[in-house]
Amino acid sequence: MTIFLQTLPFLLDGLLTTLLVAGSVVLIAIILGIPAGCALVFGPFWVRVPLRLYADFVRGVPILVLLYFVYYGLPAVQINLSSMTAAVVALTVFKTAQIIEITRGAFQSIPPGQTDAAKSIGLGLMDRFVQVLAPQAIRRFLPPFVNSVVDTVKGSSLVSLLGIVDLMLSLQQVIGRTHVALPLYVMGALMYFSINFPLSVLSRRLEKRFI
Amino acid sequence: MSDIQLKPVISMTGVTKSFGLNQVLKGVSLDIAKGQVVAIIGPSGSGKTTLLRCINFLEEYDGGSIKIEGTEVGYKDATGQRRRRSDRDLAKLRADAAMVFQQFNLFPHLTATQNVMLGLVKSRGKSKSEARQIAHRWLSRVGLTDKFDAMPSQLSGGQQQRVGIARAVAMEPKVLLLDEITSSLDPELVGEVLAVVKELAVEGRTMLLVTHEMAFAKEVADRVVFTDQGHIVIDAPPNTVFEEQPNDRLRTFLSRFGSFHH
Amino acid sequence: MGNYHFNFAIVWRYADKLFNGLLLSIELAALTIAIGMAIGLVLALIELDGPRWARPLIRAYVEFVRNVPLLLLVYLIFYGIPSAVDLEYDATTSFVATLSIYSGAYLVEILRAGLAAVPLGLIEAGKAIGLTPFGVLCYVRFPMALRIALPSLSNTYVSLFKDTSIASAIAVPELAYGMRWIETQTFRTMEVYLLATPIYLLTSYAILMMLRLVERRYAIAR
Repeated sequence: MTIFLQTLPFLLDGLLTTLLVAGSVVLIAIILGIPAGCALVFGPFWVRVPLRLYADFVRGVPILVLLYFVYYGLPAVQINLSSMTAAVVALTVFKTAQIIEITRGAFQSIPPGQTDAAKSIGLGLMDRFVQVLAPQAIRRFLPPFVNSVVDTVKGSSLVSLLGIVDLMLSLQQVIGRTHVALPLYVMGALMYFSINFPLSVLSRRLEKRFI
Repeated sequence: MSDIQLKPVISMTGVTKSFGLNQVLKGVSLDIAKGQVVAIIGPSGSGKTTLLRCINFLEEYDGGSIKIEGTEVGYKDATGQRRRRSDRDLAKLRADAAMVFQQFNLFPHLTATQNVMLGLVKSRGKSKSEARQIAHRWLSRVGLTDKFDAMPSQLSGGQQQRVGIARAVAMEPKVLLLDEITSSLDPELVGEVLAVVKELAVEGRTMLLVTHEMAFAKEVADRVVFTDQGHIVIDAPPNTVFEEQPNDRLRTFLSRFGSFHH
Repeated sequence: MGNYHFNFAIVWRYADKLFNGLLLSIELAALTIAIGMAIGLVLALIELDGPRWARPLIRAYVEFVRNVPLLLLVYLIFYGIPSAVDLEYDATTSFVATLSIYSGAYLVEILRAGLAAVPLGLIEAGKAIGLTPFGVLCYVRFPMALRIALPSLSNTYVSLFKDTSIASAIAVPELAYGMRWIETQTFRTMEVYLLATPIYLLTSYAILMMLRLVERRYAIAR
């Protein structure tokens, strides 16, 4: 028992890093991804195609490979990023593609009759978007979005392979020092669980409320 | 002054529309005068809904012309060239041909009142308080006095459709387009909706309704139009159409509906 | 950027690492999917038709696995368990076991939804022609459930293929590991990634396309 208490400070430090990484990724991905998703649904041809290609490309590659690419590959061509920056960049590239997909799905699942009705009472494009489509899209966006936040927290564990001391790596360091593997792994699992499980529950509750 | 009287509210000439290789409207011409109630009947796929949706440009028609009180819908004819109207122009025109839908299409995140208010505020430029008064007035007229703040999910099908009618009529459109508005309703709810439509017809509103309710069409319409395979086959008063049935295809079509004599 | 001289020839010499790695990745995925489907199907049936007390247990399993990073599960099973219990296994076996458990948790949900969506009328028809409950399961429920769930299953399978890259963390010589290996040997980072990334892309895409073809023939839109 004492082992757990002794190691807790280190693990909490790692947890903070995990939350920092995941939080940054989610934030940047929303800022980039939601407008891009809207562009994918409403934009002209020459905007939609590159976005489509980007989203499909990124989602066909494992996150780990993307991480390696950014972390090891870019320095080789003289683009030097700190490990933290590289990790966030790589994860953000991945996550933005996900957000674009979720946004697209949110708008495209709105019945076309809604646009018809909005048109028929004389609403222009801006009004249709703001008054009718966006409110409904947000409701459809939130459940899968919260789910993807869970995915991001899980994916952030991969940055441990780049030497960033997140929860995963600090866990391993602690295990390396104390040689008590299984109980500590379980404890680490519970720590991740305690972040993600409430989010999963929230996602399901949102789904019931909105969809 | 007789010019204004004679100018039809809706004037369609030679309208054609294809979806891919399938030509749904093959040259339709139809005039609707002010105050007339015209029912459009016909088999599925004959183009009646498409016809309606071309009038408020929910579908872009390919050829011919559709004019609402003289203004061409959808296209601007500058220097003999057809150019698509801007979104803003279209929006203004569409409010004048408000539509009620088979699937109701109420905005699920707004209350009944807000559903009716939205077009009044954004399209007709009314203030919020004025729009609310108008909305309440219309909701009461369709019999929903106690449902002002209800969400669509809390309303029955018939109630939702009545909100849909209120939403369209509140715009004071030049013509009301009703697209099979009772086809999605449980039978026992059809009556309440038709009662509202009848009231509006009696008031002298110009209405174009696509319907399968033959008895209702007979009762309320000034003219009945029968479409088949993209053409208007018959355009005559209800008695002619339903009693005399002067056309073979019409007779076959109507025979499926049984008797609708009162 | 201008000082970098691309040299694909060196990388090409080790191309067999990539090729064999890809094969292993596919094998890992296939094996995992097979075991995962079995786990998922059995647990889905228990959850739908089985005893009440089993449901919270299955729920606990699903929630735990889905909310914990795969990497942690991999380490837990590969390093954690052998340290506490007298068991020994190699990295590949460990990874297959881990990913199967991981996939099982996702597949339970999908298969349960699929089974629940089989129209009651069809099940009753099965009984009416004299099939035993097991027969109904084999000939009516399972095929229908699969068809209904095909889109979700397709996406999950492709994800699982991509997840095999995590095996590189415990030195299983699949594709991602091969990439890193060549890179550390030759220092030709860019070339390796430019070569290997499309391999993942194309394979993912190929798997998805094949599944879409199956979908077109067999899937039932709900």
